[in-house]
Amino acid sequence: MNYREEVIKAMAMLARDKRPIFIGQSVRYSGHAMFNTLEEAKVPMRKRIELPVFEETQLGMSTGLALEGYIPVSIYPRMDFLIIAMNQLVNHLDKIEQMSCKRFTPKVIIRTMVGSKAPLDGGPQHTQDYYKALRLMLTNIDIVKLIKAEEIITAYRKALGSERSTILIEMADLY
Amino acid sequence: MNKQELIDFEEDIKDLFLDGKIRAPIHLSRGNEEPLIEIFKGIQPEDWVFSTHRSHYHALLHGIDPEWLRQEILAGRSMHIFSRKHRFLSSSIVGGCLPIALGVATAIKRKGTKRHVWCFVGDMAAETGVFHECTKYAARYNLPVSFVVEDNGLSTNSPTQLVWGRGKGNPHITRYKYKRSFPHIGAGKFVVFK
Repeated sequence: MNYREEVIKAMAMLARDKRPIFIGQSVRYSGHAMFNTLEEAKVPMRKRIELPVFEETQLGMSTGLALEGYIPVSIYPRMDFLIIAMNQLVNHLDKIEQMSCKRFTPKVIIRTMVGSKAPLDGGPQHTQDYYKALRLMLTNIDIVKLIKAEEIITAYRKALGSERSTILIEMADLY
Repeated sequence: MNKQELIDFEEDIKDLFLDGKIRAPIHLSRGNEEPLIEIFKGIQPEDWVFSTHRSHYHALLHGIDPEWLRQEILAGRSMHIFSRKHRFLSSSIVGGCLPIALGVATAIKRKGTKRHVWCFVGDMAAETGVFHECTKYAARYNLPVSFVVEDNGLSTNSPTQLVWGRGKGNPHITRYKYKRSFPHIGAGKFVVFK
């Protein structure tokens, strides 16, 4: 079973559902490995929102889209980039249910990746794994590290069906 | 709700707080009743309203029941007023609601529905990077969102414009343009490492 091919199947599965919308930089234009998976999964362009580089705003927008009924698949091609959005992740998406006494329960699927170290090493700002740190900070968001190819589709399917937001961490070295 | 009713509500909350009946921070409004009443004449009941830590007036003018709001405040939730029925949310992080409001507006435009989004921020929030990003994006995509800056000149107790060094211009930025010749990453071909 091939890791990358399973990711592509998972994206195709998400795209078949009418609610998900793929959002981030390089979701309509090439630029990173995750774009290629959307292309090969044939995710329709109408289901993709290309954004500027504004990670914090991207995550807030994802929350807003979720409040209106979409399931955003918010793409951060490196975990190093996701931590730029910590305010919206920790103070807002993770806390809205608690702050609102469950009156609002926005659900976002966050897709991110630990950058590869071989054959090219992206260095300290493109290869970090903040899985444990996120587990310590987040109380209302599930976090899944995708280590094995066979768990990928199940994990994305579970995220799609869950009532909670989920962060799915892909491993570039396994692509 | 009229001006006097707004003032009376905040006076009641003030008294409750001073009597030790509210065991959480409160942020009271006073003096901005008239402009807010005017602004809310343009806000429809079905519109989304995003507020801040100082949200009592916004909630009341958006139609939230005063007694319900009073109970929320007594329960210690003055900084977190949320109503699904009224599409009303707040954040106590400076500028925290800005991108969320932007996302709701994006969704509304995609759906083609008639609702509008209103996002209230203070004058320090209006100086932040996220405000710049959200207002620029909203304007360029013609999203159904309006941002209202409530400018009392203060951020907590810091004079906002003085802190930002008003009127000094910015001699620290140099910009030049060029056209990229290489792709974003690499050199245009896959490399096979041996």
